[in-house]
Amino acid sequence: MAARLAEEWFAICGGCEVTILDIGEPLLDVLKQVEIVHMPVIMDHKLFGQTGENAEMEIPAADVGLISGGIRNEEHKKLALEMRKKCKILISLGSCACFGGIPALANQFSTQELVDKVYRDSKSTEKDGLPHEQIPELTDRVYAVHEVVPVDAYLPGCPTTPDMVANALLSILEGKPLPALSSKSVCDECPTKREKKAVGTLKRRLEAPDFKPGAPLTEMRCLMEQGYLCLGPATRGGCGGHDGVPRCIRAYMPCEGCFGPLSEKANPMVDMMGALSSIGLDPKQIPDRAATFNRFAGAGRLRPAPRR
Amino acid sequence: MGISPVQSVSAVAEAPPAETFQPLIIALCCNWCSYAGADLAGVSRIQYPPSIRMVRVMCSGMVHPNLVIEALTKGADGVLMCGCHPGDCHYQEGNLKAEKRAEAIRLMLSDFGLEEERFRLEWVSAAEGPRFAQVVRDFTEQVQKLGPSPYRTQ
Amino acid sequence: MIRLEINNQSTEVLEGITLLQAIEKVGVKIPTLCHHKALTPYGACRLCVVEVQAPGRPATVQAACSYQALEGLAVLTHSDRVLRARRIVAELLLARCPEAEPVRRIAMELGVHEPRIRKKNDDCIYCGLCVRMCCERMGRTAVGFSGRGPRKRLEPPFGKHNPICWTCGACDFICPTGKQVSSLTTAKNFLPLSNAFNIGLDSRPAAYIPYPQAVPNKAVLDSTACIHLNYGSCGICQEVCEAKAINYEQKPLATELNVGAIILAPGYEIFDARLTKDLGYGRFPNVITSLEFERILSASGPYSGHVQRPYDQKQPRRIAFLQCVGSRDSERDYCSSVCCMYATKEAIIAKEHLGEGLQCDIFFMDLRAFSKGFEQYYRRAQELGVRYIRSRVPIIKEVPASKNLIVEYLGEHDKRISEEYDLVVLSVGMQPPKEVKALADRFGIELNEFNFCKTSAFTPAQSSREGVYVAGPFVEPKDIPETVMQSSAAAAQALSLLESARGTLIKPKLYPAERDVKQEHPRIGVFVCHCGTNIAGVVKVPEVVEYARTLPDVVYAENNLYTCSNDAQDRIKQKIDEHKLNRVVVASCTPRTHEPLFRNTMAEAGLNPYLFEMANIRDQCSWVHMHQPEEATKKSKDLVRMAIAKSRLLQPLQRQHLKIEKSALVIGGGLSGMTSALSLAGQGYHVYLVEKEKELGGDLRHVYYLLNGENPQDELARIRNEVDRNAKIHVLTNAAIENIEGSIGNFKTRISRNGETTEIVHGVVIVATGAKQYKPKEYLYGQNENVITQRELEARLAAGGEFLKPNGRAKTVVMIQCVGSRDTDHPYCSRVCCADAIKNALKIKQLSPATNVYVLYRDIRTYGFKEGYYTKARQQGVAFVRYDEQRKPEVSQNLKALEVTVFDQTLGMPISISSDLVVLSAGIHPHEENRQIAQFLKVPLNSEGFFLEAHMKLRPVDFMTDGVFLCGTAHSPKTLDESILQAQAASARAATILAKDSIELEGNISHVLDEKCDGCAYCVDTCPYKGITLLEYMWQGSVKKVVQTNDSVCKGCGCCQATCPKDGVQIYGFTLEQIRAQIDAALEVA
Repeated sequence: MAARLAEEWFAICGGCEVTILDIGEPLLDVLKQVEIVHMPVIMDHKLFGQTGENAEMEIPAADVGLISGGIRNEEHKKLALEMRKKCKILISLGSCACFGGIPALANQFSTQELVDKVYRDSKSTEKDGLPHEQIPELTDRVYAVHEVVPVDAYLPGCPTTPDMVANALLSILEGKPLPALSSKSVCDECPTKREKKAVGTLKRRLEAPDFKPGAPLTEMRCLMEQGYLCLGPATRGGCGGHDGVPRCIRAYMPCEGCFGPLSEKANPMVDMMGALSSIGLDPKQIPDRAATFNRFAGAGRLRPAPRR
Repeated sequence: MGISPVQSVSAVAEAPPAETFQPLIIALCCNWCSYAGADLAGVSRIQYPPSIRMVRVMCSGMVHPNLVIEALTKGADGVLMCGCHPGDCHYQEGNLKAEKRAEAIRLMLSDFGLEEERFRLEWVSAAEGPRFAQVVRDFTEQVQKLGPSPYRTQ
Repeated sequence: MIRLEINNQSTEVLEGITLLQAIEKVGVKIPTLCHHKALTPYGACRLCVVEVQAPGRPATVQAACSYQALEGLAVLTHSDRVLRARRIVAELLLARCPEAEPVRRIAMELGVHEPRIRKKNDDCIYCGLCVRMCCERMGRTAVGFSGRGPRKRLEPPFGKHNPICWTCGACDFICPTGKQVSSLTTAKNFLPLSNAFNIGLDSRPAAYIPYPQAVPNKAVLDSTACIHLNYGSCGICQEVCEAKAINYEQKPLATELNVGAIILAPGYEIFDARLTKDLGYGRFPNVITSLEFERILSASGPYSGHVQRPYDQKQPRRIAFLQCVGSRDSERDYCSSVCCMYATKEAIIAKEHLGEGLQCDIFFMDLRAFSKGFEQYYRRAQELGVRYIRSRVPIIKEVPASKNLIVEYLGEHDKRISEEYDLVVLSVGMQPPKEVKALADRFGIELNEFNFCKTSAFTPAQSSREGVYVAGPFVEPKDIPETVMQSSAAAAQALSLLESARGTLIKPKLYPAERDVKQEHPRIGVFVCHCGTNIAGVVKVPEVVEYARTLPDVVYAENNLYTCSNDAQDRIKQKIDEHKLNRVVVASCTPRTHEPLFRNTMAEAGLNPYLFEMANIRDQCSWVHMHQPEEATKKSKDLVRMAIAKSRLLQPLQRQHLKIEKSALVIGGGLSGMTSALSLAGQGYHVYLVEKEKELGGDLRHVYYLLNGENPQDELARIRNEVDRNAKIHVLTNAAIENIEGSIGNFKTRISRNGETTEIVHGVVIVATGAKQYKPKEYLYGQNENVITQRELEARLAAGGEFLKPNGRAKTVVMIQCVGSRDTDHPYCSRVCCADAIKNALKIKQLSPATNVYVLYRDIRTYGFKEGYYTKARQQGVAFVRYDEQRKPEVSQNLKALEVTVFDQTLGMPISISSDLVVLSAGIHPHEENRQIAQFLKVPLNSEGFFLEAHMKLRPVDFMTDGVFLCGTAHSPKTLDESILQAQAASARAATILAKDSIELEGNISHVLDEKCDGCAYCVDTCPYKGITLLEYMWQGSVKKVVQTNDSVCKGCGCCQATCPKDGVQIYGFTLEQIRAQIDAALEVA
């Protein structure tokens, strides 16, 4: 019998849904075995019944639920609860669901600040253009899914990797335990060579690193040592998929931390600032510190600056 | 696995009046200079306020910034880190590394909604008992002025 | 064995014992009053009654002390019937003796507060303890009962004082009501055994522990006073000693030892203040000696640290200290060197005890604060309000009613002043013990005129007989650091002499096998120290112990008077064993001094020494929060909780061993450096002697004669020759040290010489860089050729003087003291200038008696035997004019001569001296190069720029950094013989390392957690010792990276730990987890 699959999306760009497509050939195997019962990105499923006759939202029961995106408003919250209720296994799909992702950068500001900025103070908006009707209330901040409902598995990444999605779904279908995430950092998989850490000033990302096109990555020097801010040491590994090489490194780019921190208690900003200042870099040259190190992990880690 | 968040934002509270409040300060002191300086303050019976709780470390250079940030976000009203004077470090330059990290710590405190005055790095040598006591007095006063940590729960 | 039932519990006891013994054996407590373990049962007080039922007989109430334990008895110790009986007995006893403390306590415990019958207010309960004691134990019958019933009385035979009583006092001692039984038996006065440790301020028993920190901390019997040893009776102590440790048969044992060298350190005696009759010591109870006052101030002293007068236990409000009692007088023409500072210290401590309101006046002649840090301490005392009065007090009178004391003295401008004090402390001087004459005869050594041991300036730790070395105040009055230095110096000499026999008598210490506790859940034992009253005087120690018991994983907690004492170590070991402890926390003082001791105790108990943690509740708590007992107690609890939190996470660690490079680097080729080098070479080690100048000798090259007439240039030539000839000493002159790397056992030093760089490897370093003479900027020095320094004067005098002036004889020479010393920029005393000035003044007088010599001084600091030369100088007409720091002399030049104007403090008026030569006693200043050497070696300098030793008093030649030692004027200004002593001491201390083949390294080093490390390599660059390397390995087809630490290079600084972004490398014993646990514990609310 085919497994029933429900998918819901909250505060997200939709990239992780595309990743499901990106699975490529194995997707055909998967699709044969699943029945998609709910997936707003491809199905027009009515939450309150076909004619809107129900008072409560309803999602069909499913064996597997995927949620992408963090929780930004009260509707997301209710949907998350409904998904949890109806799905036997609930999976956070992508970094937004896992740790808030890019939308959670908003957590640096209070809701009022956000609303003012977007609907009142920006030049292109009409004053008092704040929408009132038929709009769900914003939550006080962006939450990762597991902050609202218990989650059984996490597939981090921005977007998450097709390999991970395929592995997770196939494991469920085969009745195997869900594959564990790597416990090591991006550096563990990074093949670049290390000689001596950079000192002096950091380079901007758009400056090209030094590498020989076509040559194996083992011959390229660690991007941090070349002067690029790389979040590898504080970011969970595994983004390389079957290839085993971190995705950004493969593209000659430093890690931005999309796989999130290594543990729930880890604070990538403090860890990285500590490491960078230890080797003698001036910590002041890192722009927008909190957001840079928590670009994808803002759900619990970013907070508005207090006013006194 | 679980990726649960650090503490919620709403911990930021209003400061009660400063006069009555006895701050709780974590002092991280290096074994060779500052801890010895604190001992000398003791031997010389130089009195200072009972605000600090000292943790002995071998070198100020072994204190991970995480320890400082954690202490402050768990409710310490201040963190005082003491090491040897530049050039006096028992381990060559651990204190200079601590100084670099201290810069980073000060920057980051604002990210946690904390005043950077809640953290202080001081050099105290083994011969500076009176100075150690003075540093504690000054810092205690400074923290008193700031009021209790917004993360303080009791 | 017989079987009986006590409180329904069946038990087996030995046949023939009393019921009381059986009851005590099963751990039940019942009250007794007339019972004593060492006396026959009497059954008089009836408090020990119990309900006894023999088989087949009705239950009766019987006195347990006199009822034999029999087979089949059933005993109830606390039945209603028993308690009723006991209460009635207690009530009757209370009515008879309502004031007696034991009676009141027992009655209280039984719930009897007030007797219902009329009180008799008697002082005897007829328990018969005294009677039995006297008869049974002392073999006397000096007291007994007469009469019967209501006429029963306690009396001596025939109701009279009687010679049968030998006034042993046992009856008074045993009486529970505090009655003076002996007053019935004898008219003699009792002479208590005086407690020598407290200078007779209190008494002690004949079986006693000599002092709180005695080693071993065991009781001894005073054979002159013990009744048993003298008369064969008594023997109570044997009876009551649970450990059965009393052995009356022990006799002094003569042992013959074969030794190659002898070190004599008989110490000193204080001057008998009774000899200065006018000061009233021995007549006026409130005139005491400084040593008595020292005991009064001590927490373990007769009054437990409460400062009070011996006479009436009242707190003094005005204390006078009289200096130079038994020093600097006609019979003892020497200075005892230590009294000025100990009086200052006692005044400060007394003020600490009694508050700012206490008036402390010190009457002195010259304030001799000449040692390192002393001048600053003297200034601090003045800031704290200690008053210094420059006058020698001739007489003290007593106010008969109050026993207060009137001190009469000549104040400024010869004004007679008399002031009243509550207490007068005589700063008594040091003199050799009386026995030294016999000692000197036995060992065949010479003594000097004052009976101190005779030594020479160049062999200051050697007696007149080779192989007999001396140390301490037996040689000359001296302070603790000088004593410690001289002891090490004597040891160094002996070590050189016995070099071939070294190590032949060593027995290695064996420790029990280490218990493996890795799998055990933490079982923590907590020991909280009173430190006498140092901690317990402020912190409520029992409360802290109680609190510790409530903390998780704490299975045992107790308090100790001194946790560092020997018996406490035994106790800790016993408790480790008893409670299967696997972590120990001691809350006492600083781990910097005491951690090694307790770690050793752990090892002796079969536990890994690293399972130990300390909470510093003294230096960080009781001493710095002396006036906040509540807060201090709370903070102590916090500190204990923090230590416990960390201890829970401690893991056993193993120490690595490191080979010792058996050679030394001596930096500085002056007298100290050469002496150290010779001493080390004499002990069999290679020495690299590095000198920056082109020849050896240092400042000694500029010294031409000594106060005692010895010629240093001959000695210098001899020493240089010896150094040159010694094959083990490698002299590197014209050398500059470029870098020093490494640490104890393995230093690497780069030295550049004449453009060439060499690297030497050595195990230890001795810093003997010396100091330099201040080049004066004041008093026209450098502007007028007739203003010179003492050193320049000495050079001229050594050449015959001729005489001191280009044209004609100098009629007047003025010397100015404290130039570049004891001022704002150099707040220390240069120590040698007073003696140097007197030396040169005497030389001038010797060469040209007609020349007038004036010495303008602030205090003449001719300590020790130098005092005699000061006397001699005055006798020969050298004029000493005292000036004040605020009114320094002025030197001006006119056409003819130099004019020195000075305000004479003694005369109270300015005087002006027209002078041919002005000689400046320029101070001794530290070298600027010290800073760089200090950085190379990671050792500290003090605020003046001299090297700072590990401990000012107890470790004067060590640094806190292992393997580096200090001597000579690099430490502080000092004389030639003092430099030699310290140099020899440094070599002895260095030899303690070089004598070993390897040393154990610290266990607290870094360690990589492979499962967390993924080779980001941030730590590699931050390691200051280059001790971390990045490794690559293949794993499942791809290259992985991980770092590795080098245990022998790692010093445990933890830079790696603080750098790692993922807790992948940590320092054993200081892991992030452990530090975090401490912080979390601190943030917990107690």
